[in-house]
Amino acid sequence: MDYLIQIVPAVAAGLKITLQIFVITIVLSLPLGILMAVGRISKIAILRKTMYAYIYVMRGTPLMLQILFIYYGLPFIIDGFTLPAFPAAIIAFVFNYAAYFAEIFRGGIQSIDRGQYEGAKVLGMTYIQTMRRIILPQVVKRVLPPVSNETINLLKDTSLVYILAMNDILRITRSIVQRDFDTTAFLVAAVFYLFFTFILTKVFGYLEKRYAVYDE
Amino acid sequence: MSFIEMDHIRKSFGNLEVLKDVSLHVEAGEVVSIIGPSGSGKSTFLRCLCQLETINSGSIVVDGKTMASTPAGSQRAVYAPAADVRAICRRMGMCFQHFNLFPHMTVLDNILEAPRVVKKMKTEEIMPQAEELLKKVGLWEKRDTYPSRLSGGQQQRVAIARSLAMDPDIMLFDEPTSALDPELTGEVLRTIQQLADENMTMIIVTHEMAFAKEVADRVIFMADGIIQEQGKPEDVFEHPQNERTQSFLQSMLRF
Ligand SMILES: Nc1ncnc2c1ncn2[C@@H]1O[C@H](COP(=O)(O)OP(=O)(O)O)[C@@H](O)[C@H]1O
Ligand SMILES: [Mg+2]
Repeated sequence: MDYLIQIVPAVAAGLKITLQIFVITIVLSLPLGILMAVGRISKIAILRKTMYAYIYVMRGTPLMLQILFIYYGLPFIIDGFTLPAFPAAIIAFVFNYAAYFAEIFRGGIQSIDRGQYEGAKVLGMTYIQTMRRIILPQVVKRVLPPVSNETINLLKDTSLVYILAMNDILRITRSIVQRDFDTTAFLVAAVFYLFFTFILTKVFGYLEKRYAVYDE
Repeated sequence: MSFIEMDHIRKSFGNLEVLKDVSLHVEAGEVVSIIGPSGSGKSTFLRCLCQLETINSGSIVVDGKTMASTPAGSQRAVYAPAADVRAICRRMGMCFQHFNLFPHMTVLDNILEAPRVVKKMKTEEIMPQAEELLKKVGLWEKRDTYPSRLSGGQQQRVAIARSLAMDPDIMLFDEPTSALDPELTGEVLRTIQQLADENMTMIIVTHEMAFAKEVADRVIFMADGIIQEQGKPEDVFEHPQNERTQSFLQSMLRF
């Protein structure tokens, strides 16, 4: 028990990095993902193809590789351009998760009936107005379950930043275990992750309930 | 000069020519019904007028303003600048077979949405008209309901009110009752009849022969992308001249 009281605050110190990466990635990658999804289905071929290639590459290579590339690889490409670990991690996470969200949103947008666009058009709405007011709000309802999944994945993926020697929950936990030859810290870390997964599940459950006021 | 002048409209989808030189002039306040077998191009024709499809050649002029025209000797229609086309289309409302209401908005918000977004009006400014329209179609009590909770007939009446909220001068209907149970068509047809009584200019594609006869000033029979016959309802229905019209009306009678 004494041991627990001693290590819980130590592990909790890793929360800051874990949650910072999580929150910043969500806040930036969701809107970016929506924009990419719209580009991915655009009538402008170059935009559509670029987005397709981009999403293919980001989903087809490990996030770990992308983190390493941005941190260690960029300085070789852009001469002498180095990023500190935190922004490098954020960039990798945001651009990776935006690609996943883009695919989710693309599927959602394409699942909306053509009649919705036509109904909006004959009322005089522009494409952007139609997207913003008519299509995307309906897409949100449809993509909540996959977005919820992806968000929980992100929470766990944040642990990848250990590779850049950033002290998130998992890296701190590992060093405690190595120091004390005691695996209790792993359990503590697991409880932290489970706690935040629980909160996320609740948040998405609430959103799904809110969107349940209408059927399609 | 007629209110709506569509001349020599041609429209193809790939190799399939759907409209083969169709011309139709509609006077202000006139109600025109288009009948004909399915696949004959009726929907496409309406959709060309409200810009859901672009024509290949021909011309569309509404209230003296040219939306599209085809220069002499050319095979391709040229459209007016986008802003002009938009302005012309703003004068038309369209109701679809499947209503196309916005499912994520209440009945009232469905009505308010376009005036708010397109005309930048404030909710308070539109409310009196929204109330009047919803009362007119008998659905004011349902204003806070979502469309999926309404019957098909109620949904179509909301769709009509939604179009009217943009103050159109022309209403287009594409088989407004085809998706409805038979006992629900009456309430929608009455609403359309009421618009006719108020001298709304309308083009109505319908399979309801009795209604077409009742409401229309003129009936158009279309088949194979061509207007085969047109005239006063009593003439077209009682004394069809064209063989295609005769056999079509025969087949409709069997229902
Ligand atoms: N977007 C489209 N792409 C390809 N073919 C179409 C399209 N819309 C309609 N058609 C075809 O055009 C023909 C006429 O269709 P339509 O105008 O819907 O006829 P109607 O309303 O009289 O039943 C049909 O053969 C239909 O399959
Ligand atoms: Mg049709």
